[in-house]
This record gives sequence, structure tokens and C-alpha cells, in this order.
Amino acid sequence: MPMADTLSPSSPPRQKSIVEAHGISKQFGDLEVLTDIDFSLAPSEVVCVIGPSGSGKSTLLRCLAFLEPYDHGSVYIDGQLLGYEDRNGKRVRTSEKRVDDVRAPVGMVFQHFHLWPHRTALENVTEALRLVNGLSRQEADTEGMAMLEQVGLSDRAGHFPESLSGGQKQRVAIARALAMKPRVMFFDEPTSALDPELVGEVLDVMKKLAADGMTMVIVTHEMGFAANVANRVIFMDQGRVVESGPPATLFRQPKSERLQQFLNTWRERNID
Amino acid sequence: MFDITLLWEVRGLILQGFWNTLWICFTGCLLALSLGLVLAALRLANPRLFGYPVACYVELCRGTPLLILLFLLYYGGPSIGLTLSASVAGVMGLGLYGAGYFAEIYRGGFKSIPKGQLEAARMLGISRWHALTHIQIPQMARLIVPPGTNQLIILVKESALISIISVDDLTKNATTIVNQTFQVIEPYLAVALLYWLMIELIARGGYALEKRLANRQPRPASQQGATPHAHG
Ligand SMILES: Nc1ncnc2c1ncn2[C@@H]1O[C@H](COP(=O)(O)OP(=O)(O)O)[C@@H](O)[C@H]1O
Ligand SMILES: [Mg+2]
Repeated sequence: MPMADTLSPSSPPRQKSIVEAHGISKQFGDLEVLTDIDFSLAPSEVVCVIGPSGSGKSTLLRCLAFLEPYDHGSVYIDGQLLGYEDRNGKRVRTSEKRVDDVRAPVGMVFQHFHLWPHRTALENVTEALRLVNGLSRQEADTEGMAMLEQVGLSDRAGHFPESLSGGQKQRVAIARALAMKPRVMFFDEPTSALDPELVGEVLDVMKKLAADGMTMVIVTHEMGFAANVANRVIFMDQGRVVESGPPATLFRQPKSERLQQFLNTWRERNID
Repeated sequence: MFDITLLWEVRGLILQGFWNTLWICFTGCLLALSLGLVLAALRLANPRLFGYPVACYVELCRGTPLLILLFLLYYGGPSIGLTLSASVAGVMGLGLYGAGYFAEIYRGGFKSIPKGQLEAARMLGISRWHALTHIQIPQMARLIVPPGTNQLIILVKESALISIISVDDLTKNATTIVNQTFQVIEPYLAVALLYWLMIELIARGGYALEKRLANRQPRPASQQGATPHAHG
């Protein structure tokens, strides 16, 4: 495997993890946003990423999906290097087509939904089924309705996003990602843009997904959800992973001062 | 006083002028629309390389009178080896001038679509081409039709300036008739009516297109329980 050796300090993933990252870092101009991050995700694992605003959580998720190209290190999806390849000992960007192929197992849900406003809920879900998977309209509609059913929105199929509540929009966005049969789902603060009373319906859908064995990485400020659903919690601060472990350990016995502070601030805010 | 028979006698000149204005505007607008698209696309595709030159071009179009551009093309052209007939100079003048405005209109349309919508498309494996044709263009079309129509109308009206570089357009032929017949009102009114006719056609076309794009009804969902909902 000469290719991997020139690309990363460590060899490519040995055990069967769906997502694996070695020593990734990322800069925006002079600002170092991610520093030397290692990450791995086993099948059916649910990982929650927490940390103060600006600590690099979104950037980490976006680098793992190559929506932002990472500067150093390597990201493997199902054992395949994402975004770069080795050409004559030099690391070069792969084609967009190749990026699409490698990250095909990854589905993404954004804080602000990013539904397409000129498409109905059902059309949002079926668009990629038709354009990418080449399904006929009828096949795509059947499949799309099943996905909307799964998030409890089959009665909203013909509605445009503007007439849906935030919670419904986010559930459509989840159905849209699920339609492509991802093996792992990334969520970037999926409930942060929602009115408090709508958070529950989205978290319920995610809990169901977790129970069905979906592999997930979830950036969230919902500590209760993280405590109940995550197998592992990662605490980030200033572009580094400061602590990680099972939620019980992390929340009850935080080792670092920064995590203690973060949790205290969170408790203070949520008591009144 | 108002002598309608006079207009019948000079119908040849009026029709010739109308025809010249028509084809020069049509070609000029076509050039403006397509060159504008190229400029906007270049700027979006590679802002670092094309951003500044295109921005300068747009500023130049906004900041100088069309008449100066026409003079440069028609009278200044020969000194740099570019000898144009008056009509071709007219087409080029309108096209180059309009392109600056259309570039901005297109760019506004593209920019109005949040980047996240395209990231969502990419994460689903939708190609850039499909994202352009299925996500960007349908949304931006709605937004650019009203300002685009407006700009076409402005170009048609400004086209009267090509009479000054001796194109036998509506305006110049009207003046010729005035000089021959010493009647002022009839020829200019007739010509005004013809300009208005062209502009009315463009305005109505634009309005129809706008309605067509806005009124897209959701196609009926293929299963029971889906409530069709009119999109405002
Ligand atoms: N596209 C960008 N260009 C420049 N700086 C950015 C960009 N995206 C994020 N940043 C900066 O990177 C840091 C981490 O941002 P982010 O990953 O969004 O943090 P979080 O999601 O934890 O709030 C912040 O300081 C932010 O301002
Ligand atoms: Mg964030």
C-alpha cells in the first residue's frame, strides 16, 4: 500500500470502521480550526460531538464529508481515502466524481435544513433518487413516500417547504438523506434552528434511527439526548478533541477543566 | 392639423426604420443576454481569476453613456483596425453595453440561492450539472425575469442613440421625414407608437414568463393523503 504511506503517518484502517480519520487539520487563512484530529466510527455506533461554539465541530463534520477539503491527514470512508489520491508521490485532489463515489455511504443533515424551496416535500426526497439512481418517477415516488412515512410526514408529501414547520422541514431533510440508503448519517446541530417545542419530534426520529442500528455522528447541544442515545461523546475545544468516552463517564467525571466549565455553563443555563 | 395621409406617403421610410430598429435591437439584446451569461458564469466559476476583470467591465458599462461606446466603436474602431458598418457598430454597442447589466442580473440570481442547497445536493451525489439545471436555474429564473425584462426595455429605448452614428433606424428616419415634410408631430408620434409597441410586447412576454414560472403547481402526489397545495 505505497499510496497510503505517503499520505498519512499511520497505515490505512485495519479494523472495520465506516469512517476513520488520522491527524486531520484544517486552516482558514491564518486561523487553525482543526488540529491533529483522530476519529473512528464503528458500524452502528452513535457518536455525539459537543463543545463551545466556534470550537470546530461543524468544520470537523464538513471535513469528514469533504465539503471542506482538509489540509493534512487522511479521511477514510469504508476504507477508501476521501478527496485525495497519490500521484507520483504527490498528494492531489481527486475528481469530484470520485469524491461523490467515496462518500456515497454518507448522508448529511444540516442545521438549516437546506431543502429546495421549489420542490415539494416528496420531490425533495425523490430528486436524487431520479437524478442519481435513475429511478422512474413512479418508482421514486413509491420510495419517497416510504421515506416520508418513516419520519411521519406522508401527509405532507405535496407541501412546499415554506408551508412546513421547522421540525417538519428537518424531518423531510432526514428523509431526503435516508432515501439514498446511507450507511452513516452526519447531523450538524439538527435541532439548533428549531423552536423548543419542535425539537422533540426531530430527536424522536433520530432515536428511532439509532435504535434501528444506523451509524451516526451528531453535533449537538442536546446533552440529554447525548446522554441517552450516544455510545460515545467527544468534547471539542479550540479545534482539538479534549476528551472522549462513554456519556456516563464524560458527563459525571469530566477530567479536563474545560469540559467541567462547559458542563457547568450548560447546567446554569438550563436550570432557570 | 394632424395629417394622417402624410404618414401613408412616407410609410417606406417608417417601415425601413422599424425593420432596422427591430433587427438591431433583437441581435443586440441576444448578444447582451448571452455575453452577460458568459461573464456571470466566468465570475462565479473562478472569482479569483475573473472576478476583478468582470467587475471592472460591469462598472464601465454602468459608468459611461452608451453614446460614447457607440462613438468609440464606430468612429474610433478604424484607428485600431476595426471598421464596422453603422448597424454592426449599433448591434455591438447595445450588446456590449447590455452584457454588463445582464451579468449583474444573472449573478444576483445565482447568488440568491443559498450555498447550503448545493451542498445538500452534493451530499446526495447530485452532479454539478444536475444541480445547475434542476436546482439553480429553476429558482433563479423566477428572480431574474422581472429585472431582465426591465433591462431589455431599457436597451430598446436606448437604441434610439444609434441614429446618431447614422443608422437608418426609426429615430433617424423620423427625423429625415420631419426634414423633408416640415411636419414634426406626425412622424415622431408614429415612431413613438412603434417603440411603445415593441416595449409592450417585451413587457407582456416577460410578465407571461414570470407568471408561468411562479404558478408552478405541485404535481399531484401519487398516493392518497397528500394534500396538493397552491404555491404562492
Ligand atoms: N468558511 C470559513 N471561513 C473562515 N473561517 C471559518 C469558516 N468556517 C468556520 N470558520 C471559523 O472556524 C472556527 C470553527 O467554526 P465551526 O467549525 O463552525 O465551529 P462550531 O461548529 O464548533 O461552532 C470558527 O472560528 C469559525 O469562525
Ligand atoms: Mg457549528
